[in-house]
Amino acid sequence: MQVKQYLIRRLALLPLIMLGVSVIVFTLTRFTGSPVGIYATPNMTPDEVAALEERYGLDEPIPVQYAYWLGGLLRGDLGWSGVSVAPVTDVIGLKMAATLELALFAALVAIIGGIALGTIAGVRRNKAPDHAARFFSILGASTPTFWFGLLLLIPFYLWLDWFPLGRSTPEIFDSIGHPTGLYTVDAAISLNPTAIWDSIRHIILPAVVLGFGSMAIIVRMMRSSMVETMSEEYVDAARAKGLPEKLVIKRHARRNALVPTATVIGLSFGFLLQGAVAVELIFRWPGLGQWVTGAILSGDQATIMAYVLVTSLIFMLVNLAVDIAYAYLDRRVVLGS
Amino acid sequence: MMNSDDWLLRVEDLSVHFRTPRGVVQAVDHVSFEVKPKETLALVGETGCGKSVTARSIMKLVPEPPGEYASGAVLLRNLKTGAVTDMLSAPMDQVRATRGDRIAMIFQDPGKALNPSLTIGRQLAEVFGEHRAAMLLTQAGIDPEKGPIGSGSIASQRAGVLRRNFFHLTRRGHSRAIRAAVDDAVMSALSDTGIPNPRKVMSSYPHELSGGMKQRVMIAQALACDPDLLIADEPTTALDVTIQARILDLINDMQQRRGTAILYITHDLSLVRQFADRLAVMYAGRIVESGPALEVLKSPQHPYTQGLLAAIPRAGTPRGKLAAIAGSVPQLIDPPAQCHFSSRCTWCAEACTSHIPKLIHMPGDRDVACLRFEQADSIGVDPSDMPSHVASAEVVS
Amino acid sequence: MTMTSIPQSAASNEPRKDRLRTRASSVRWARRREVLREVMRNPLTVVGVVIITLFLLMAITAPLLTEANQPDPYQSPRDWANIDVGPGVEGHVLGTDSTGGDVLYGIIWGSRLSLQLSLTVVISTLIIGTIVGSVAAMRGGRLDNFLMRIVDVFLAIPELIFALAIAAVLGPSFRNIILALAVVFWVKYARIIRGEIIRVKQTDYVAAARVVGDSTWNIYRKDVLPNAVTPLVVQATLDMGNVVLIGAALSYIGLAQAGLTEWGAMVSAGQSGILAGQWWVSTFAGVAILLWALAFNLVGDGLRDALDPKTEGR
Repeated sequence: MQVKQYLIRRLALLPLIMLGVSVIVFTLTRFTGSPVGIYATPNMTPDEVAALEERYGLDEPIPVQYAYWLGGLLRGDLGWSGVSVAPVTDVIGLKMAATLELALFAALVAIIGGIALGTIAGVRRNKAPDHAARFFSILGASTPTFWFGLLLLIPFYLWLDWFPLGRSTPEIFDSIGHPTGLYTVDAAISLNPTAIWDSIRHIILPAVVLGFGSMAIIVRMMRSSMVETMSEEYVDAARAKGLPEKLVIKRHARRNALVPTATVIGLSFGFLLQGAVAVELIFRWPGLGQWVTGAILSGDQATIMAYVLVTSLIFMLVNLAVDIAYAYLDRRVVLGS
Repeated sequence: MMNSDDWLLRVEDLSVHFRTPRGVVQAVDHVSFEVKPKETLALVGETGCGKSVTARSIMKLVPEPPGEYASGAVLLRNLKTGAVTDMLSAPMDQVRATRGDRIAMIFQDPGKALNPSLTIGRQLAEVFGEHRAAMLLTQAGIDPEKGPIGSGSIASQRAGVLRRNFFHLTRRGHSRAIRAAVDDAVMSALSDTGIPNPRKVMSSYPHELSGGMKQRVMIAQALACDPDLLIADEPTTALDVTIQARILDLINDMQQRRGTAILYITHDLSLVRQFADRLAVMYAGRIVESGPALEVLKSPQHPYTQGLLAAIPRAGTPRGKLAAIAGSVPQLIDPPAQCHFSSRCTWCAEACTSHIPKLIHMPGDRDVACLRFEQADSIGVDPSDMPSHVASAEVVS
Repeated sequence: MTMTSIPQSAASNEPRKDRLRTRASSVRWARRREVLREVMRNPLTVVGVVIITLFLLMAITAPLLTEANQPDPYQSPRDWANIDVGPGVEGHVLGTDSTGGDVLYGIIWGSRLSLQLSLTVVISTLIIGTIVGSVAAMRGGRLDNFLMRIVDVFLAIPELIFALAIAAVLGPSFRNIILALAVVFWVKYARIIRGEIIRVKQTDYVAAARVVGDSTWNIYRKDVLPNAVTPLVVQATLDMGNVVLIGAALSYIGLAQAGLTEWGAMVSAGQSGILAGQWWVSTFAGVAILLWALAFNLVGDGLRDALDPKTEGR
């Protein structure tokens, strides 16, 4: 099958690109000089420092050092996280789960909202809903996420106190199991209504803020591809069969308009991951973003680099998934081009 | 036109306008014609003469806006009950019930008219789901009045729900029996059009099929509900020459077997000779001549028809002697009230640039719209301003 | 044809070729004027142009609007007598922050920083991206493959996250934010220009120029590049806004030096006050970022619509 071959090719390319990313990350760690400073203390003699360098292989040529580092990486050794006072590998899973949960909910907001608004705008082209959607999409692309989050805090947290900060109320979430690490899913599995409500209350506001920008991108793309598919002949052909307009739009125009939109959804996941940095900071969401901002302020390089590696990996995997979905959605795509 | 009750479709005084930033385009301008049951009417004309818009108007498929039905009616007669529906003024529910069931359409490019992301089977199933839901449910052993879903109090309401959900029902496979009934219907529709491996084609996507195969699928889809009228909009233009003849034979064959009336939209006069009973020639949004196909081809009366026929290359025509009509089609944005062909016509006279010629009925069930067949006093101009007159008696000879 | 005859025929064709080129270029300019006229017909684009003009005026006349703080004009003057005062207080139209820094002063001098940031990043990355993309597309083969794999790797890391890592390694300063964004942003341009050049290279006029025996450099300079830059112009316009958005996000996170009159840093400085009801610092600074990005997005969007024949009349 075509699709299977394509999948294999894409999967083969993934480690190569990740290798490239690792080179970049390694270069960054060596940018400000030898990382021996992490281990050395000011009162060490040069001999002691040299001994340290030898111990950690830092006296070897750079490519050899890279090989050591990469080997460690592949064994799951991502270094020591200063901010978490623990090996990076031990904490990164929890942080990742938190960020992924937030990003997935934000993606849900962005995709559902974006497709709905984009469809309406495309169908009612050049009418009021279309103009509104266009302006909204430009506005969404221009709004600084961190500022939007702060702004929403004023009414919803400060005045109304509807949504609490953080990820959960600890008393509730200490009492239930965490099989997935995604609190909403854990809560749903526990069938504990208080926990379910608590997890939803915590995630709504950050997810909406984070999803807003991506939604704008999806609206834009969805609108223009709807405009295009609505003028396709198969849409007229569907009408000629006697289908109600609602079905014509849903099953014929929208279905095909989703195809180009799918790629944008994949790319907008990058926006979600990068937007999460500020959103987590504002809403005190204990994910990768909050972790890395802490690391930046304390100069904790191992954490920063692990963060870059992990987010790129997630981003690549999401895009791979989208590409596969794309290949299934549109059988005509010349795969791999 | 003949005043008999023996008609299926009657287009009366149809005008379709398009609003563009540069002005109103009068794409179809007071067009009237009639299609009788089981006959083939060919609507012939150059690209942009309004024939496709006319065809789409019959299904009420012209996009509004920018399109607009400025005048006229599209009457469709129910051959069993004699009831007449005006497609342009009927409620949308009724229009939809007619589309795909009693009037069906084959599009010019089957590659564009099939949804690329649905299997052929699903696209055909849609037609049955929309128009034959009750029948298929009965076949599957389910009482359509009760139905497997919903519990609406009124039977008709339930039928509506059924129709809307039918497709999803078969997809989710709630009922194997329904699925089997739909598959059977789809397969028999496909094999009826000579598709050799209907089961395989059913689960294919359009891009996996050849052009000719796709057009066969379109024909199967169009004829799925045994329509009274089939509109074929240049059904072979997008196909390879070798396949064209086969598709035409297929359409012809299906018509013989099912007695479907066909409205043939084409620019190819040689096809008309082979397949059409009657012929209507359109020029710049108006019908300029109509009548029995062979008669019109044998003795064309309108200067435009004559020009068209002269432009067809025939065996025996000396090289380099192909006739072409001088000039080009006038643009139809706010056109002046005159014969649109006057600028290209060799007979053009004063009156031709100030009067719109009416369709004049002539012996042999023929009509021509040309001032040469009108009397100077009937339109109130000086006889010296008229083009050279032709008596209608001369036509028949 | 022998080898020696090629330059001869090329020489004999020279005047005609140049004539054709002049004509092509004048057609191009006519088309550009037309596009410009069309762009300015869109009211939203005009709004964008007006906002951009106002920001430019603000940046240029900053020392006239407010007296520059000494020694560093990009640090708000501290009015310790008026800490955390709301908008409308005498001498502080938009209020002050928790260190007595005037918000209006910050916004005005911040526009200079935004201009510096966006112009430096966009122009430098435009040059780098065009060179890399052009070399890849014109040379093709293994070099193209190699360069494009590098581009793939760069694109695998989300922009802000990449820039964040670089800026973090370099240490917190506004200059490092600029540097980090420059390292990240060229990739997009390289990819766009490469695609466009490959498209243009297949057109007839380039084939004609090649037949006439023109040098690759001349073909590139006179025929290929001028016909390939359109999407770059659109992207660069949009990026004038995007760069400021991302730059502001980086300084919001804490990658600019403290107290800088940069809008993102100001949002950050004001956020602790928000929960105490002091909304003005973050809000006004954020509005400045929003307007800046909005203006360039409106203009970029208008340009895209006017230049893309597919969206004509939509």
